[in-house]
Amino acid sequence: MIPVAYNLRNLAVRKTTTLATAAGLGLVVFVFASVLMLANSIERTLGRSGRPDVAIVLRKGSDAELASGIEAQQVSLILGNADVAKRPDGKPDGVGEIAAVILLPKLGTDGESNVQVRGVPDDVMAFRPSVTLVEGRPAQPGSDEVIVGKAISGRFKGLTLGQSFELRKNRPLKVVGIFADGGSSFESEVWGDVHSVGSAFGRQGSMSSVRVRLLSPAKFDGFKASIDQNQQLGLEVLRETDYYEKQSEGMNVFIGALGISIAFLFSVGAMIGAMITMYGSIANRQREIGTLRALGFSRFSILLSFLLESICLALIGGAIGALASLAMGMVRFSMVNFASFSEVVFTFEPTPGIMLGSLAVAVVMGLFGGFLPAVQAARMSPIKAMRG
Amino acid sequence: MGEGQREGKKPIVELDGVGKTYFRDKEPVVVLDNISLDIEEGSYEALMGPSGSGKSTLLNLIAGLDRPSRGSARVAGQELSGMSDSALATFRSRTMGFIFQAYNLMPVLTAVENVELPLLLTKLSRGERKKRAQTALRVVGLEERMNHYPRQLSGGQEQRVAIARAIVNDPRIIVADEPTGDLDRKSADEILTLLEKLNKEFNKTILMVTHDPQAAERATVIHRLDKGNLS
Repeated sequence: MIPVAYNLRNLAVRKTTTLATAAGLGLVVFVFASVLMLANSIERTLGRSGRPDVAIVLRKGSDAELASGIEAQQVSLILGNADVAKRPDGKPDGVGEIAAVILLPKLGTDGESNVQVRGVPDDVMAFRPSVTLVEGRPAQPGSDEVIVGKAISGRFKGLTLGQSFELRKNRPLKVVGIFADGGSSFESEVWGDVHSVGSAFGRQGSMSSVRVRLLSPAKFDGFKASIDQNQQLGLEVLRETDYYEKQSEGMNVFIGALGISIAFLFSVGAMIGAMITMYGSIANRQREIGTLRALGFSRFSILLSFLLESICLALIGGAIGALASLAMGMVRFSMVNFASFSEVVFTFEPTPGIMLGSLAVAVVMGLFGGFLPAVQAARMSPIKAMRG
Repeated sequence: MGEGQREGKKPIVELDGVGKTYFRDKEPVVVLDNISLDIEEGSYEALMGPSGSGKSTLLNLIAGLDRPSRGSARVAGQELSGMSDSALATFRSRTMGFIFQAYNLMPVLTAVENVELPLLLTKLSRGERKKRAQTALRVVGLEERMNHYPRQLSGGQEQRVAIARAIVNDPRIIVADEPTGDLDRKSADEILTLLEKLNKEFNKTILMVTHDPQAAERATVIHRLDKGNLS
C-alpha cells in the first residue's frame, strides 16, 4: 500500500488549498454538530422537567397546560386518588397549577417575547425537591412576589433579582428569588402565587393542570384508568416524561429539519469543493501517479490512496468544525416552545456520540467528494501519466 | 561451458515480430513495425535513434508498461502480450527496476522513503524494508543523505536515489529512459559509472534508451531504431 505519509505530506505541502477546502467541509460539520447539540439540549432540557413517577392531568383534548382548564373541586378529587403518594405530613404529594404567558421586552433586542408564568401553590418546593433557590429568598405566600428561573433571569426586562414587571396593567410583581432545577425547562419560567396569577388572568377557581407523584411509576396505569373511568370529569392523564417528550419531539422535528436541510445544502458545496481540490491535486501529480503505477502499484492501490487523502482532508475539516461547534457550548439559545408558546432557553450540549457522528459525516463527504477524482487517478495509463 | 552457464546466457528478453500501432483520431500510427530482438541476461544494451523512432515505446513494451499490438514479447520467461493490467503490475514490481530522465521521485518523501516504495509491494517487515533501502542507498553512495527530501539534493544525487529505488527489490532487468538527459557531463558520467557497476558487479541486465553517444558507448551492445524498425 502507498504510505499514508505520502498523502498527509501532500496535504501539508498544499497548505492553503487544504485549509480552504477543509474550512468548507468544517462548516458543514459545524452546522451538523450544532444542530445535533441543540436537539440534544432540547430533549434533555424538556426531559429533565419530567419525572417517571409523576402524572400530569389536563382537560381532555388539550395537548398542553396552556389550553387546559380544570375546576378547583376536581383538583381535590384527583389529589385524593389512592395511587397518589403522601408526604410525611400525610398530605397528598401533588400540585394544581396555572400556566399563563405574558409578553415582556427582551433585553439586548428591540423585540418582545413570551414568558411562561406558573401560578404555584405554597408547597411547590416540597413537590419539586430538585428546585433550589440560588439567589434571594422564596416568595411570600399570597403576595405579589415571584421567583424566576435562572435561565431567563436577566434576559427580559424586570426579570432580575430585586426588579419588578407587570403581570397585567397596574399589577406589578417583584422578583425576590432566582431558582435552578438542573437545567430543566422550569428554569425558563416565572413562578408566582397561584391565587395572584389566577386573579390576574381571571382564572380564579380553575387550574391549568394537576401534577401528582404516584406511589411508584408502575401505578400510572391504575391511576390513569381510575381518572378515565370517570367520564364526567373529562380529564386526560399523561406521564410527565411523555408529556415533555412530546413537546421536545415537535421542536426537534423543526430544528432537525431546518438544520439538516442547511447542512445538506452546505455539504453539496463542500463536496464539490473537495472534488475540485482533489482533481487539482491529481492533475499536478500525474507524473507521480504514473511512476507509482510503473513501480507496480495496482489501480486499486492508487484509488485507495487518493480516497484516503480525500478522507484525511475531510477529517481535518471535520476536526475544525467539531471543535468550533464545541465553542457553541458557551452560547445560550432561546426559542419558542410551540407547546407553551413561550421562550425556553437551551444550550448546545455535546456528547461523544455527536462528535463521532459529525466526524463520520466528514468521512462520508470525503468519500463522496474524493471518489470521482480517485477513479480518474486509478484509470490513468502509467505511460500517459508520466508524460504529464 | 557448463549447462548452468548456457542457461545463464538464455535471452531474458525475446521479441518476435513485435509491432505497436496507436490510433490518433481513428487514424492508425505504426510506432513499431516488426521488431525481433533477443537480449541476454546480464548484458548492458543501449537503444538509440532519432526522436519518434519508437525507442521509448520499445522500452515500455519490454518493461511491461504497455502491450504489443502484434507479435510475441517474452520477458523473464513470461509472455506479456496477453497479460492483464494487474498481472503486468505484479510483473513490473518483481522483475523491473525503472530509471527515468526526470528521476520521478516523490517530492514529499525522503530519499530513503522513496527507495523503500517498491518494497511496500512485498511482504517484508518494516525493519527489513528500511534496512534494504539503506543498503541500496549505500550502493549509490548516498547513505548519509537518506533523510533528505528530493528538493534538498542535486540532480545527480536525485538520479542516484532513483537508481537505488530501481535496484532495491533486486530486479533482473533495469530499464533506463534517458537516465543522463537532465544531467551535466560530470553527473552523467557518475551515473553511467554506477550503471556499469550494477551490470558488472551485480549482474543486472540493463536496457537504456539514450540520445547521448557517450552514454551509449558504455553499453556492450547498441541497437539503432529508425521509423519503428531496428537498423
